[in-house]
Amino acid sequence: MFLSDFRKEFYEVVLNQRVLLLVASDVDALCACKILQALFQCDHVQYTLVPVSGWQELETAFLEHKDQFQYFVLINCGANIDLLEVLQPEEDIIFFVCDTHRPINIVNVYNETQIKLLVKQDNDLEIPAYDDIFRDEEDSGNESDESEPSGKRQRFEEEVVERTMKRRQRREWEARRQEILFDYEQYEYHGTSCAMMMFELAWIMSKDLNDMLWWAIVGLTDQWVQDKITQMKYVTDIGALQRHVSRHNHRNGDEENSLSIDCMRIAFEYDLCLALYQHWSLYESLCNTCYTSASLKLWSVQGQKKLQEFFADMGLPLKQVKQKFHSMDISLKENLREMIEESANKFGMKDLRVQTFSIHFGFKNKFLASDVVYAASSLMENTEKDESGTDNFIKALDSLSRSNLDKLHQGLELAKKQLCAIQRTVASCICTNLVISQGPFLYCYLMEGTPDVKLFSRPISLCLLSKYLLRSFIYSTKNKRCKLLPMVMAAPLDIEQGTVIMVGIPPQTESSDKKNFFGRAFEKAAENTNSRTLHNYFDMSIIELKMEDRSKFLDALISLLS
Amino acid sequence: MFGEKAIELIRELHRASDGQLPAFNEDGIRQVLEEMKALYEQNQADVNEAKSGHSELISTIKFRHCSLLRNRRCIVAYLYDRLLRIRALRWEYGSVLPNAVRFHMSAEEMEWFNQYKKSLATYMRSIGGGEGLDLTQDIKPPKSLYIEVRCLKDYGEFEIDDGTIILLKKNSQHFLPRWKCEQLIRQGILEHVLS
Amino acid sequence: MAEEQEGSDAGSEEVLLTPAQLIRSLEQAWMNEKFAPELLESKSEVVECVVEQLEHMEENLKRAKGGDLKVSIHRMEVERIRYVLSSYLRCRLRKIEKFFPHVLEKEKTRAEGDPSILSPEEFAFAKEYMANTETHFRNVALKHMPPNLQKVDLLKAVTKPNLDSFVFLRVKERQENILVEPETDEQREYVIDLDEDSQHLIRYKTIAPLVASGAVQLI
Repeated sequence: MFLSDFRKEFYEVVLNQRVLLLVASDVDALCACKILQALFQCDHVQYTLVPVSGWQELETAFLEHKDQFQYFVLINCGANIDLLEVLQPEEDIIFFVCDTHRPINIVNVYNETQIKLLVKQDNDLEIPAYDDIFRDEEDSGNESDESEPSGKRQRFEEEVVERTMKRRQRREWEARRQEILFDYEQYEYHGTSCAMMMFELAWIMSKDLNDMLWWAIVGLTDQWVQDKITQMKYVTDIGALQRHVSRHNHRNGDEENSLSIDCMRIAFEYDLCLALYQHWSLYESLCNTCYTSASLKLWSVQGQKKLQEFFADMGLPLKQVKQKFHSMDISLKENLREMIEESANKFGMKDLRVQTFSIHFGFKNKFLASDVVYAASSLMENTEKDESGTDNFIKALDSLSRSNLDKLHQGLELAKKQLCAIQRTVASCICTNLVISQGPFLYCYLMEGTPDVKLFSRPISLCLLSKYLLRSFIYSTKNKRCKLLPMVMAAPLDIEQGTVIMVGIPPQTESSDKKNFFGRAFEKAAENTNSRTLHNYFDMSIIELKMEDRSKFLDALISLLS
Repeated sequence: MFGEKAIELIRELHRASDGQLPAFNEDGIRQVLEEMKALYEQNQADVNEAKSGHSELISTIKFRHCSLLRNRRCIVAYLYDRLLRIRALRWEYGSVLPNAVRFHMSAEEMEWFNQYKKSLATYMRSIGGGEGLDLTQDIKPPKSLYIEVRCLKDYGEFEIDDGTIILLKKNSQHFLPRWKCEQLIRQGILEHVLS
Repeated sequence: MAEEQEGSDAGSEEVLLTPAQLIRSLEQAWMNEKFAPELLESKSEVVECVVEQLEHMEENLKRAKGGDLKVSIHRMEVERIRYVLSSYLRCRLRKIEKFFPHVLEKEKTRAEGDPSILSPEEFAFAKEYMANTETHFRNVALKHMPPNLQKVDLLKAVTKPNLDSFVFLRVKERQENILVEPETDEQREYVIDLDEDSQHLIRYKTIAPLVASGAVQLI
């Protein structure tokens, strides 16, 4: 059931209890987790935190802890499957689910006792009515108990008619139910950021701090970087956060006692969407940001020339632009944003600036929200050392604290490497025509032995790569129809086990609502072909597949979607 | 030169920084004792000689006696310093020492350690007339009632008061009462997370 | 502080102290012990009373319902007091172990009416420590040595506490005509007065009896 008063129905319930937090492996979940941890520490709520990267780990963690905890909080996981069916909990166990995955499983919506949803009831939820899905099983059993001798035949005929009517009604009801459920569950999408929900909880309890606000901002920005929400939703949510930012960071200009430079301040920015540009060189950032590299077609020779023209147009010498951003001439950095925006407009890049926030503390430390998102997610999916998933989770979680600047910087460096790897892979895929049209969708497979392919065995990185590739492909192809197609991308996951990881992303159009049908499509295709698939990730549109089953699976998918 | 071996012992301890306990140098002790025995026997012989008139031997006797005293002083210092390091281990690791350390201790040092443990336990139990007080806890002033800890190794089940059990798996994080975690933090199972 | 405990007795039969005064005298004993170079007089009654007080507070806490802010604060208070007590006793143990021959000697040569610097339990501990250490030396080395060298005078071997070290103090009761001995040959002894609430840096030896009597507090 949906909770309306988070404080009374969630926080005060767990206040004197011990809680198990199951946290998914993405940056939004990490941010929500940090906020909740801060609240719990303030009120001495004892908790245990277990990172989970998929359904299997969720199940295992639940089984291991179900005897010790009564209250479970699931962060960014659990809303889109029937939790009670999968986990089979005892009757007194209660789940609080704060998740952006939609659609929310219908059982989770209507269960009154054990599933509590910490979710904003946006008006795009479109929950089917209760009676359309559930029905009391009253009149299935008592069919032929009565035995009245007199008027039996008359009664009998009437009964038969009644029964057939009821059966037909029932069949109609079931058919409608199937249809409603199909429509409801067909498209996957994402709702309001978990971190923002947790921040709202803190705010209604008047326990919100600037640090928590920053985490809420990073959580929202993660949704934007991963292209999970529409532009309009992003702007709306930014507006909501902007009010909080003003409230926390408002300082009168003429106030004598202004904040010490070491205190943390958040500022609204209408800044360039160039990835990590303030911690890199302008040149590198332009080359490795999807938007600019795709628009300028930097994988081609003309693209490189255009890049030079772009810089020339702005009057920025190449030598300056290739230096670290901090070392650029101050005179060039003044009005940089407006200058770039103006030139970008001439080159067909109208959306180079985006509304976001930045954080300042001390003299040296300034970060944009997107910087932190890139850093944390590259730490989380770090394949450089052979560390376990949970080790990386912990590192990424730590990097969100201001006292762990070294980890944040490490993340920034990793993110730079990752972005470069993505660009290289995109360029090679475009140049070698690896993206092929299969009819209803585009398809690309990264062979083993492709450089950096290990990096793309992780879900978030692979999704980012697919989105960038699709965008670049749209700019590179002349085929009008192909520009509107969604894309499926696959990469080797585990060579020994012979598995690949496959993601499906929706088409990229101006007015895209970011709804993804691949989750259901994958399920159906696997069913139809008996392929050995593992739907382990919380996003249904990401699966693992046995390499041998790849071709028949794809064929099934094509025929399903044609 | 006399006393060289003895000084070696001292130097060895001096080199082991930070209260570490190097292996018990049984050989070194034996050599010093042998040197002492040799010196003593030489002195015995010379004393008899000196008594019967050879008074020029007196300075040699005195010199050997000084060497003997020096040797003894070095040995006792060596042993005593090791005892102090072993004592510190009780306070740091608890009553069960890690294997690596135990290999470096001689049998007598182990015996001393066991006696010390017993004495300390008896004393702590006697504090205040009730159940006593564990002085190896509360080493630092308490900053807060609960702390956030991270599990560094798989440990399994851990019982906190009133029977509740926590499963300590690698990389899980917990927010627990401080006094329950102190022992495990010292053993390196848990790590205090400051954020 | 623990002033709001309902129905808490003072604990000891002889001296009637409020809990607040009891904790204050524990803290004073703790600070004195920390900063004094030698082992000070044993304060067993204070220790016993504090332990009793702690037990009393723990019981109150067990009965109180959880989640109350007062409970957290009182629990924190219990933790703090336990820390001070542990630190005090640890400090004493460390000094006992460090100066064990001298401590035992002082106790042996104590005059009849003088207060003891060791509690009975500490005394037992010190004796065991000494015996343990002596046995160790004897078994490992001394018994293999020449006969005239087998006895080590521990009083000479183990360092004595440095009574000439300087300490900071605050004066609680006014003292007059304290004789300060010269440090170097050029100086001569002189006399000072210690005013109430003034703070000084002075050699421990000069004011040692004042610490014992409670006239000054080491800081």
